[in-house]
Amino acid sequence: MRRSITARCIVEGNATGEVLVSSQPIAFLRGVDPERGIVCDPKHELYGVEFRGKILVFPNSVGSSVGAYVIYRLKRNHKSPAAIINQNTDIITASGCAIAGIPLYDAPKASLAELRSGMQVLINSKRSEVLIL
Amino acid sequence: MHLTKYEEESLKGENGPALQMAYRVLLAIGRISGAEKLIPVEWAHVSGVSYLTIGDYGLEFLKRISSSKGAKFRVFTTVNPCGMDTQKWDEMKISADYADNQLKINSYYQKLGVATSFTCVPFQSYKVPRARTHVAWAESSAAIYANSILGLMTNRESAVSALASALTGKTVLCDLHIEENRKPTKIVRVSFERQHSGRRFKGSLDFGILGYFAGAIVPGVIGFSGIRTQPEIEESKALCAAIGTVGSSGMFVINPSGKKKLETIEFTKKEYNETFSELSDSEDGELIVFGCPQMTLEELYELSRSLEYKKLKKKCVVFCSSKVYEIAKAHGYTDTIEGAGAMFVRDACADFTPLLSSLGVDSVVTDSCKGAHYMKRVHNVKVALKDISKIVKENSSP
Repeated sequence: MRRSITARCIVEGNATGEVLVSSQPIAFLRGVDPERGIVCDPKHELYGVEFRGKILVFPNSVGSSVGAYVIYRLKRNHKSPAAIINQNTDIITASGCAIAGIPLYDAPKASLAELRSGMQVLINSKRSEVLIL
Repeated sequence: MHLTKYEEESLKGENGPALQMAYRVLLAIGRISGAEKLIPVEWAHVSGVSYLTIGDYGLEFLKRISSSKGAKFRVFTTVNPCGMDTQKWDEMKISADYADNQLKINSYYQKLGVATSFTCVPFQSYKVPRARTHVAWAESSAAIYANSILGLMTNRESAVSALASALTGKTVLCDLHIEENRKPTKIVRVSFERQHSGRRFKGSLDFGILGYFAGAIVPGVIGFSGIRTQPEIEESKALCAAIGTVGSSGMFVINPSGKKKLETIEFTKKEYNETFSELSDSEDGELIVFGCPQMTLEELYELSRSLEYKKLKKKCVVFCSSKVYEIAKAHGYTDTIEGAGAMFVRDACADFTPLLSSLGVDSVVTDSCKGAHYMKRVHNVKVALKDISKIVKENSSP
């Protein structure tokens, strides 16, 4: 049987793809390059990693309130993740994904520890879960 | 979340694309917070103004919102600083292309009906409503100040969620809008003075260092102990700005009362020095930068007093809002500061203006921890952090 993790849908949308996990929070403004679609903070564990088309998993975002526009710019530049899964979604990520139309889920009551970079998952607005393929 | 009939209709797009976007944003926030409903706010403060941060796509987005039918700000709305002095940009090495885009962004906000000043310290220029009033402020430093010093109630809004509140006049009833969520979760105890052989813990630099340390380790409401219950305005401003630069805390309480025993984190000389070295990577700077967040009237008064009959030995830029500038000018403060050789940049942000890069300096000296954090990353300069009085003393002559 396939394993699944219970998640809440914050911004509707379906996605399937490869997971990219960051155990650290992400600061979008000046922590992410919206032109290249990579984390550009040298101290970050995902430094230099491209996340276009991936299912990006991180606990929550931090830093500047303008981060929401960085999420929007990623989408318009075709460099955005296919979907985002947070432990606890914050206002910056929620509002950025809402205007960009990036599917967004979070899992405040479940552990995301099972998700590892490279895994394939499926998320679907109708089912409140992340399905590990 | 319960939505009224009007809110439901707006979400479906029946009241135009701007309101549809705004309600989509509020709905997403309602979902993460499990909120019951939306509530009215009296004041929205919107960030996302500098062309340097929102870029062409942000500009286009605001153009579309501002020109969509029926879109206007439904509550009193202020906006953050932009990327340049809106009046004297052509004297400041700002490219015509950048200025053109920045002026467009400003015009979109103006079309939606924004108050005149571009400022990150909106509480300085406009009448602050009574305590417990619900507002929706982006700009983390201002939101933290609103909650912690002014007693207003706001979450740390994003640029986009504050825009949604400005367009709808509403915010989501959650987190710091609810009294019981406004209690400290951890205590940061400042035990500094004893170890510094009596040196007092004071001034914008000390409070900034404390905020940068505490903001990074406490995500919720921070309790501070071991400091004066009512810091000076510049100290509070620096503390709020530094907390907002890192982490996600939206509020602090100084010397909280309450019986509950909370986890306590010590802030000693060791933590002070470690945080300081993380931010300050130069002995000195070629350019002096004051005003991150923008300087208040009180700070301009102090600065003018310290610069009376003196000349600065290096270039110095001072950031403040045009509204504060006008008042300071009427009092003669700006004449003294300009007379000493400093240059004012009004309505702009020290961290997100192309001005600093175009001045061609490799290092900056400032008193601001938030400034140090961003200037390093945005302009690729080295930063020396020093107390404001020390900067003036070292760099001025009679």
